[in-house]
Amino acid sequence: MSDAVLPLRRAAPIGEALAGLMLTAPAAIAYAVMLLLPTLAAVALAFTDYELGMPGFAWIGLDNFSELLADRGFAVSLRNTVIYVGIVTPLSIALGLGAALLIEAGIRGRALFRAVFFLPVVSLTVAMAAAWQYLLHPTIGPLNAALRRLGIADPPFWLSSSDWVLASLAAIGVWENLGYTMVLFLAGLTAIPRELYAAAQMDGARRAVDRFRLVTWPLLGPTTLFVVTITLIRSVRVFDTVAVLTQGGPNRASEVLLYTMYREGFTYLRLGYSAAITLVFLVIVLGLVWLQTKALDRKIHYG
Amino acid sequence: MITRRLALTTGAALLAAPALRAQQSTEITVHYAQPQIYKECYDAIAAEFAKREPGIRINFITTPNYEEGTQLVLRQAATNQLPDLSYQGFNRLRVFAERGIAQDLAPLLAREGDPAAQGYTPGLLALAHFGGFQSGLAFAASNPISYYNADLFRRLGVDADPAAFPKSWDGVIELSARIEALRDGTDGMWFQWPGDDWMFSALLFSHGARMLTPDERDVGFAGPEGLASLRLLRRMVTEGGMPNLNATTALQAFAAGKLGMRFGSTAFLRNMIQSTGRNFELRTAHFPQVAPDGKLPTGGAAGMLTARDATKREAAWKFLRFSTSPEGTALMAKNTGYVPVNQIAIDDPRYLGEFYRENPLFRTATEQVDRMIPWYAFPGTQSVRVTQVMVDSMARVVEGQATPEVVLPEMAAEVRRLLPRRS
Repeated sequence: MSDAVLPLRRAAPIGEALAGLMLTAPAAIAYAVMLLLPTLAAVALAFTDYELGMPGFAWIGLDNFSELLADRGFAVSLRNTVIYVGIVTPLSIALGLGAALLIEAGIRGRALFRAVFFLPVVSLTVAMAAAWQYLLHPTIGPLNAALRRLGIADPPFWLSSSDWVLASLAAIGVWENLGYTMVLFLAGLTAIPRELYAAAQMDGARRAVDRFRLVTWPLLGPTTLFVVTITLIRSVRVFDTVAVLTQGGPNRASEVLLYTMYREGFTYLRLGYSAAITLVFLVIVLGLVWLQTKALDRKIHYG
Repeated sequence: MITRRLALTTGAALLAAPALRAQQSTEITVHYAQPQIYKECYDAIAAEFAKREPGIRINFITTPNYEEGTQLVLRQAATNQLPDLSYQGFNRLRVFAERGIAQDLAPLLAREGDPAAQGYTPGLLALAHFGGFQSGLAFAASNPISYYNADLFRRLGVDADPAAFPKSWDGVIELSARIEALRDGTDGMWFQWPGDDWMFSALLFSHGARMLTPDERDVGFAGPEGLASLRLLRRMVTEGGMPNLNATTALQAFAAGKLGMRFGSTAFLRNMIQSTGRNFELRTAHFPQVAPDGKLPTGGAAGMLTARDATKREAAWKFLRFSTSPEGTALMAKNTGYVPVNQIAIDDPRYLGEFYRENPLFRTATEQVDRMIPWYAFPGTQSVRVTQVMVDSMARVVEGQATPEVVLPEMAAEVRRLLPRRS
């Protein structure tokens, strides 16, 4: 280090570069060891038939992927994930935006409502799942007790009926994500200059709806794009509620991508096949990020 | 300086030497699953063991359930960090036997003399005999029993004595329908079908059939017994009004007094007594019988030896033997809900006689011991997946998505596909 910094003035750029390299080294090494290498190992595993506890493995090329295509369980899991994401993403964005607008427009209790809506984000999902299990309990849960009082004789068995389980999990997912999108929208809202609203009002946008359509929504563009991507990725990642509440059941009705990956790898011990599913997941997430940067570059740019 | 340090170290060494010689201690690592059920019993056994073998120190490592225990030991086998002794679920032992991780205990047993004289009868040894050799020693066993809410029975004017509990499923279903007819939000019965194939095998075995044919080349459940088992499951829903609950919610509903009868493993007994508290009087009765020679599956755990080092292996074997001895077994049975698996502890009233007199709920499972056969573990690498196929098929029957007549052949076809191919 001292060698690099001390010598002649002309060599300074090299010294600076070296110092820079050394300063970034801890982060770079940590990134390589904790993220890059495991990811590459998973990619390599996806092309083997490795099973946990077996002494050796063989390279089997694309066999895992062709099995994925023929696997009914994987198809069900992919379909469930798409449905789950399709419910959770739009709902948590719309409700998050609504909550953000109401809080921003409100006069009293702003801090309180912000905290109340953000609480699910910071609470531990596994612990919250236990609370949901009680709320949604078919016979002794408060929700069904309330429904019965309202005159519904046979309220649904939220988490154990294959018709309802995905919708119930999605509702929990929305509850979890709403606070997160709300906070992002709140940040986006504060960045909009007040004068624009005044100007819009002068130009004839009398109604709040018009001001929202003409000022708020377009200026929230970059925020919305970011929120959409992050919510998509967060909901594709759904795992803990499924693992705690339903274990993918009944009859695979709530089996989602990451849970299938976990089950293949750690219950059926087929790590190679599980790595192939991980790769599919990785491709989906990278695809979403790529779409985001593409769209950011092109369309929505107000800075 | 040097001389002083030398003098000091020599002095210390001289002081330490006798202590070292006296200890001669061996440290072994022992793994077990489900500490919420087992912790008290292992602690009691280890304390008693320490009195007899002061030279052996035991470090326990635990996993929340059997599944994670299997993963842990398989992972450690890959990285050469195996514990010296591991207690695994009966149906997981085959995985370790087929992967060459579990060691054959027959030579060690032979060294100690006649196994039967020590309480290891052939039937009990068979519980942990997988992959063609003695891959473990049974430690704790369970079988399915009937739990019921005695207060509810009395309200209906039904005799609440365990001896009067319905002996047949027809009787159970009829009683369940009567509880449903109260129309106060109480359900009649719940049969623990989700989770794994254990309770399906309870129905199948009690009809007198087996999972696979004796040569393990084809399924054994695709016949009339298997169909009768699935039809029975369907009737529990249609005629008995069985709600579509999962294991946790059913346990909660039962403990809250909202479920009349619950059919599941005796292993939950201590748990159930605690969660029921004073809500109502909990009682247990025999699992309904179908065929006169019907059997029941055995759940629970067996200890398997994995130590490579000779000294540690010897020490781990001593602990395994003590934990399955009459004394160890008695400590286990008192501290859990499991059935003792040492014949001497079962027969000799010195060990558990008083305990069972005072705790009649625990007696039910022991009275079914002669009906117990091993929990069937499927051969090959896809064994756990077979279990899932069965659970998914039962879900279809319970939810009424397909009739038992449709589900059974599909289930058989799917299981056949997952069995190892033999040329």
